[in-house]
Amino acid sequence: MIARVAVTEPSGAAKVPVEDRLFSLVLALVATETGLLKSEILSTVRGYAERYDAGGQNANLERQFERDKDEIRDLGIPLETVESPDRPGDNQSLRYRIPKGQYELPETVRFSPDELALLGLAAEVWREASVSADSQRALTKLRSLGIEPRDPVIGYAPRLRVRDAAFEPLRQALDRRQTVRFRYFKPGEREPRLRTVDPFAVVLHEGRWHLHARDRAVDELRTFLLSRIVGDVEFVAGSTFDAPPPGIQDRVIAELDALRLANVADLAVTAGSDAEIRLGKRAVEGDEDAGVIRLHYTDEAVLADELAAYGPEVRVLAPATLREAVRDRLRLVAEAHREGAAR
Amino acid sequence: MNEPRRKPLKASDKLVFLLSLVPYLLEQQVVDVPDAAAHFGVSDEEIREAVRLIATSGLPGATGTYQPNDLFDIDWDAFEDDDVIVIVHHVAIDDAPRLSAREAAALIAGLQYLSALPENAGSASLGALMQKLTAGASAAPSRIAGAESASDGSLAIIREAVAGGRQLEFDYRNAVGVAGRRRVDPLRILSQDADWYLQAYCHTREDVRNFRVDRMSGLVVSDLPIDEHAEAEVPDTLFQGSESDFDVVVDAVPEALPLLADYLADSKTEAVDGRLRVTLRLAHVHGLKRLVAGLPGLVTVVSPGEARAAVAGWADAGLAGYAGQETSDH
Repeated sequence: MIARVAVTEPSGAAKVPVEDRLFSLVLALVATETGLLKSEILSTVRGYAERYDAGGQNANLERQFERDKDEIRDLGIPLETVESPDRPGDNQSLRYRIPKGQYELPETVRFSPDELALLGLAAEVWREASVSADSQRALTKLRSLGIEPRDPVIGYAPRLRVRDAAFEPLRQALDRRQTVRFRYFKPGEREPRLRTVDPFAVVLHEGRWHLHARDRAVDELRTFLLSRIVGDVEFVAGSTFDAPPPGIQDRVIAELDALRLANVADLAVTAGSDAEIRLGKRAVEGDEDAGVIRLHYTDEAVLADELAAYGPEVRVLAPATLREAVRDRLRLVAEAHREGAAR
Repeated sequence: MNEPRRKPLKASDKLVFLLSLVPYLLEQQVVDVPDAAAHFGVSDEEIREAVRLIATSGLPGATGTYQPNDLFDIDWDAFEDDDVIVIVHHVAIDDAPRLSAREAAALIAGLQYLSALPENAGSASLGALMQKLTAGASAAPSRIAGAESASDGSLAIIREAVAGGRQLEFDYRNAVGVAGRRRVDPLRILSQDADWYLQAYCHTREDVRNFRVDRMSGLVVSDLPIDEHAEAEVPDTLFQGSESDFDVVVDAVPEALPLLADYLADSKTEAVDGRLRVTLRLAHVHGLKRLVAGLPGLVTVVSPGEARAAVAGWADAGLAGYAGQETSDH
């Protein structure tokens, strides 16, 4: 008689999908009041239990649990660690739980159909992949309230792109309160300089993204233009900082506004030109007959780039520094495109 | 807004979906699969799959063996025969989950950007909505903010025409420098970052065109209603190629490449002396000289020669305005 070869099922039979394991973990941690020990989680919760080795070889499973914890917290789910009062500092007696009161959307946070329509449009604004994904997740959560949004706002397709590579790493750094390092090209300096900063806020002002941060070298607050960050933004390992005061982003915008109002440029624009129409829309004062307009600006180098694009359609009257900056730019462009210039 | 998403979801997105679907189903008590799918903007099958998973999920319980009483349960007959979802037993969760700090921040910054729209200018309800999002987040929202850019007065007039379905007249000077009065049927207001555009059927050109709002002046909303344009092709993007476009080879510093993204003819790049050589496709040389002069030192035209000459001529003409003023460095 031929011995039958036992057909062994792969351990744990069918593999439990990741979302099933994460869902089971959240349910288990919300349901517990006192918290669960790691050993309890790994030996009983679906997705872990199938692979749990009662003999104690669970290093892979423990690493899996660490990653899952991070992923769950990343979604805004308040996964807590509670130390045992009898055995402080003992990792094996740590308990894990998700306090229901902090998990749920507060009762006061409810939205009208009009508000949901507006939030839908706000989520559509983002063209940048990771922010767009965050917006869509937020909408999914709000849909659980069961309110049908009013019909989408028609006739609008507002879009906000983020073209600065530094945006996403800085957004992560804000979230983790993580010190970062990057090379920054300040106008007037010969080459980019390495800066080490604690990022406090990232704000869009006048169409440009700005980083407000504490410069560690001088221990002072500075505002940087993301477009002037050269190369990669690196996280400084092990260096974090305390949360900046709430509403700091609004203060930064107010400061940039004040800076804008303090800077005044007087420009001569050619009648009937693109410059006259487009810059004229931003003028705070103007003498149409003389073809002179006055406007405010935040950053001289940024405005100089913009004015250079208008070529002969605009001439800077004041201030002198702006006039020189535009002239230098035009000269640079002219020389680079002169016949015989290096291509 | 509720168009079904076709991208495969990541596990974390699926988790959020499951955690959001449960309170929705409990609140609704009885809901058809297609209604739930429409509400969440997913396919019917994605709802069914999620319901099957929820119905077999729950708590390990005292014995660690997931006994029936520790699991969710649904009315299986209603589900399998009538495509109707009824949760008959639930565990652990019954309310909407909070937003993460990043999720709240993303919506708040989007709202700030929308505050540039005329109907939202200085709107108190927008501020109240942002406060609600902050209260609904599990931690202080990440500090990202988009300042409202001062909304061009023209936008309010255009919005009035779009909302009322009225024709609009305005003076327009196009990118090539040709000016004239236009009469259009406004279709849609588009924006890209700080720039606003009107997509409209132009009666003068008998075609759908994009107009830069900051190039419009003398706007008047007419009494005439707009025509039907159901058959007209309304492009979804701002920039469309045309047969008269021409190609220009430029060298750009790597940092400037994202600023040229709208104009790249193809995805080919070649490293040349620390710069990247790429081909741009533009409608006319007027656009090119403005583009290159606005990125001084970052982008240089390589060929064709006429394009180089046009840029040099543009910059020289600009320089001529400053002739005789070079006192500081000469």
